[in-house]
Amino acid sequence: MMLHYFLRRCFLISFVFVALTVLAFSLSYLFPGDVLTNVSGLTEIRPEQRQTLIKYYALDQSLLQQYIAYLNRILDGEWGLSFSSQQPVLSEIIAVFPATMELASYALLLSFVLGIPLGLFAAVKADSFFGRLISGITLIAYSIPIFWWALLLIMLFSLTLGVLPTAGRISVLFDIPTTTGFMLPDIWLSDISYKSEAIIDALRHLLLPAVVLATFPTTVMIRFTRDSMLAVLEQSYIKTARAKGLSRAQVLYHHGLRNALLPVIRQIGLQFSTLITLAMITEVIFSWPGIGQWLLDSIYQRNYPAIQGGLLIVSCLVIVVNMLTEILHTLFNPLARKA
Amino acid sequence: MRKFRLYFEEQNRGPLTQLWQQFQRQHAAVFGLVMFSFFLLLTLLAPLITPHNPYLQNPDLLLLAPSWSDQGLVQYPFGTDDLGRDLMSRLMKGATYTFGIALVTVLGSLLMGIALGALAGMSRGVQSSIFNHVLDLALTIPSLLLAIIIVAVLGPGLWNTTWAIMLALLPQFVHGIRNAIQDTLKQDYVAAYRLDGASNWQVLRYAVLPNIWEHLTVMATMALSTAILDIAALGFLGLGAQAPTSEWGVMIADALDLIYLAPWAIALPGILVFAAVLSVNLVGDGLRTAMKKRREN
Amino acid sequence: MIKALLSLMVPCGSVLILSACQPDIPETIQQGMVYCAEGSPESFNPQRVTSGTTIDAISQQLYDRLLDIDPATGELLSALATDWRLSEDGKTYWFTLRPQVQFHHTGFFSPTRAFNANDVTFTFNRILQSDHPYHGVGGGNYPYFQSVDWGSLVQAVVAENSNTVRFELTRPDSSFLSNLATDFASILSAEYAAALLQQGTPELLDQRPIGTGPFFFKEYKKDQFIRYYRHPEYWRGKTELTQLVFDLVPDNAKRMAKLLTHECDVVAYPRNAELKLITERPDVEVQSQTSMNVGFWAFNTKKPPFDNVLVRKALAYAINKDAILDAVYFGYADKAKTLLPPTSWAFYHDLPEQQYDPVKAKELLAQAGYPQGFRMDIWAMPVQRLYNPNALKMAELMQADLAKIGVRASVVSFEWNSFRRKLSEYEHDSVLIGWAADNADPDNFFRPLLSCSAAESGSNRANWCDPNFDNLINQALLTADIKQRRSFYLTAQLYIDEQMPLVSIAHSKRFQAKSVKVTGVTINPYGGISMAAARKSL
Repeated sequence: MMLHYFLRRCFLISFVFVALTVLAFSLSYLFPGDVLTNVSGLTEIRPEQRQTLIKYYALDQSLLQQYIAYLNRILDGEWGLSFSSQQPVLSEIIAVFPATMELASYALLLSFVLGIPLGLFAAVKADSFFGRLISGITLIAYSIPIFWWALLLIMLFSLTLGVLPTAGRISVLFDIPTTTGFMLPDIWLSDISYKSEAIIDALRHLLLPAVVLATFPTTVMIRFTRDSMLAVLEQSYIKTARAKGLSRAQVLYHHGLRNALLPVIRQIGLQFSTLITLAMITEVIFSWPGIGQWLLDSIYQRNYPAIQGGLLIVSCLVIVVNMLTEILHTLFNPLARKA
Repeated sequence: MRKFRLYFEEQNRGPLTQLWQQFQRQHAAVFGLVMFSFFLLLTLLAPLITPHNPYLQNPDLLLLAPSWSDQGLVQYPFGTDDLGRDLMSRLMKGATYTFGIALVTVLGSLLMGIALGALAGMSRGVQSSIFNHVLDLALTIPSLLLAIIIVAVLGPGLWNTTWAIMLALLPQFVHGIRNAIQDTLKQDYVAAYRLDGASNWQVLRYAVLPNIWEHLTVMATMALSTAILDIAALGFLGLGAQAPTSEWGVMIADALDLIYLAPWAIALPGILVFAAVLSVNLVGDGLRTAMKKRREN
Repeated sequence: MIKALLSLMVPCGSVLILSACQPDIPETIQQGMVYCAEGSPESFNPQRVTSGTTIDAISQQLYDRLLDIDPATGELLSALATDWRLSEDGKTYWFTLRPQVQFHHTGFFSPTRAFNANDVTFTFNRILQSDHPYHGVGGGNYPYFQSVDWGSLVQAVVAENSNTVRFELTRPDSSFLSNLATDFASILSAEYAAALLQQGTPELLDQRPIGTGPFFFKEYKKDQFIRYYRHPEYWRGKTELTQLVFDLVPDNAKRMAKLLTHECDVVAYPRNAELKLITERPDVEVQSQTSMNVGFWAFNTKKPPFDNVLVRKALAYAINKDAILDAVYFGYADKAKTLLPPTSWAFYHDLPEQQYDPVKAKELLAQAGYPQGFRMDIWAMPVQRLYNPNALKMAELMQADLAKIGVRASVVSFEWNSFRRKLSEYEHDSVLIGWAADNADPDNFFRPLLSCSAAESGSNRANWCDPNFDNLINQALLTADIKQRRSFYLTAQLYIDEQMPLVSIAHSKRFQAKSVKVTGVTINPYGGISMAAARKSL
């Protein structure tokens, strides 16, 4: 049964990847300009080179063969050159990717740490003042546009109070060599003498963007946990447990939590995709050098090979995470395996 | 004084009236509805009631403070921006763009969603399965990302944004409508209709649609809040409406340069976007709770 | 529950508290300075660029030149050349070179010898000799030198011995020494070039630079920052700063915010609108300098209808310069009537000013055959420049002005480096751009902007090639007599006014905003900024 489900998921994943690559491949034609320039990324193509390049990119063959050639190039790691820097798109993506991952992970962690307890609290004490306060704050946080919220926080904490920086991952005066691309591990692994100052500086830079990015997922977590917990609390097995004589806390812990948190795991996957999108906006405001800012810059500059590569990777990431969390969810929840 | 009843009469109000009664009981939802109507009126009337021309540059009155400060003037209640354009007029016109275009995209997406959802809901077998897979794929990508992708291909601009957001909202509408239609199709009265000899179209028109429109309204409100946020976000990023259009997101991006000189130019458009989204969410939440309470009664 | 929340707040709180204390920070950070720049450099070799952004970032920091210009008097000073003399016919120059000047030692190159004549010959022969192994490396364009037609002027550069260099010209040129003092004539390392050629990676010469300047190159993260460390053997004495970082922040508001939060110590191009705000705060201050620059609106004179002089004059009448000076420059600039600023010795005082006259503009348009007006685009720079703090806003103002005479203008902009690339390919109808002088010679305004050779090299934004004009400025170079040169330049300014290939708008003061703890940052009126004398008090 489990295997059957797993196979079906794998089939779905491959179908999805095919669809995504077809979309990315078609972008070379959909974007304005010369197809050869869009596919290769070279801004200056000398007439002698044209023929060789056309053969190399299989542009003189049928669309299907071009698509297969494109797939091969993608798997080889040859994603074309960026228009503006004439450097390989893939190496640029690899350079900026960890920054976004780091920001998104910390934001997700923050939304867990804040969201789940608050959601449980709101469910257990639904009609009290605090419960309603939490619901009210959640509604406000859900409705606020993220870029405006970020600007308000910057205006308050950076410009007025001056306690937090406005941009970047770490002060530029710190010379941290790049090993993993993730700032905190890199500081740890480096051999500089001022590690603790550097870590504190990095955390200061991380605080505002992570809070901003975590706002929306936290509200979703709170709502979801609360709804889920409320639904569980109404179940008969809870009433049975109470009737048996267990205290509130024991009921909550042994019976309520596991069942309430299961659907929350699924939410992680969905939240991650929203996170990536919101991260793009956050990165622009905080000048965080991640893939979101890179992709948006490429869109402004009409840097087509970069846009193609960026879209492919972001969409793939979103879908992969979704699939993974669904599989995880099904692992833990037997009921979902029927689907 | 309690209502004096001479004799006992069953009061069976229609479902709509019941809904409204439950809705009315939630003060927050009513407040949201009032705000929503305010924005709706503003959207429709803005071209007629703006005190000044939103695009008129007045080089003599640059960066005028709002009227409540010493240097402000009453004729310019919210002051002027750095090209001398009246901020209040621009904010009012902005409602047409942010709120109005959001409404248009939601309506457009809803109509397309009904068409596609009906097709999907009424079909069966392999066709249905493939469609479902494609739909699942489209659902996993967040609407803003989808909109950015479409704008990346089509290029920035207000019309392209409108299409982009319409397409980005489509998957969730199609998904919801298809599920709703399939659920309705399982009902007994639909079977009765079919036995009476109704064609597919007649089933759709007389049995399915009237029963799902409340569900549609709730979906539409959720989509509306997403649409407003997405339009403002795209405008802010420079991918949507372009300057000198006075869309609220564009106004925030323009005013970033003036963050020290005129912080109100950033605060005001943001407050309006926030209020618009809040009102839609309040109404949506209110409707959902009202429906739940109506079911319980 | 409360406990859980509290236990969460403690680490967050301690992070905030700890961040206020600054224990034991090494010298590279204490005496390190952050300069927030408005854009990324296009290259690390000043020969290859004309953009002020790039020159500011690389030129005075990494390199030296044979001669320097005194910022106060405009006179020539010795730098890498300690002495020079000129032959009687004005066609040969000899330079005596400074001894014991060391090149940079970095992780990727260690020099085995000091600076000598071979470095000078390499630097200039790369530009002059088309068969030089480095000539075509990286594209083969040397825009400044091509726009002043260096190739037809300099016949040979010869190393007579290890500390003397001889330049042989084809004709006398009174701006030759001034051109050697510009940032573009920075001296490169011939030894490094040879080593790179052997390794098969010559393009690194322009990307991972070696020079003799006060700082050496450590790292460049594209579009993020450039990191320099101090050159301990700098011939003028090692600098006080141990580290210099150029933080690349194209967004104006963010740059200003970084100044006020002290993430940046010095900020390039503060917005005119915020100057008053900065002066009100005690921890930051504004430096100003009268600068030799001009902001102008150039027409692509090879594209109709801009090939018609009546159309160009009509457009010039349609623009309200006073409104622009208020809204864009906030009053911190002077209205321009010609390319040269009033501080230049060749400035034409009595040239009549261009009037703002929309009625006359419509008449001229009708005369030219466009009574209904026409469509055009105005290309506006996305970045703040010395001569134009906000081209996009200026374009919007002009859009409204032009609409009054029936001309429908749309504003076009791109990312800065793409923008300049497209401009040099003459894709524009008209463009708002400008020029900042590289030396005190008036030729520096006319030749790189409006000469025929500049039109070929892509830096003549008006795409204007007029032999009469070229003749005037060439003649001005043949004589060393100031009075004669001046009369040629006056005629040239009159000619530009009559032909109107561009409309001069304003001469701006140059501003820089910095923390009060920083001293010694000099704004050079003739070139890039220099941080060699900068220091930061704690």
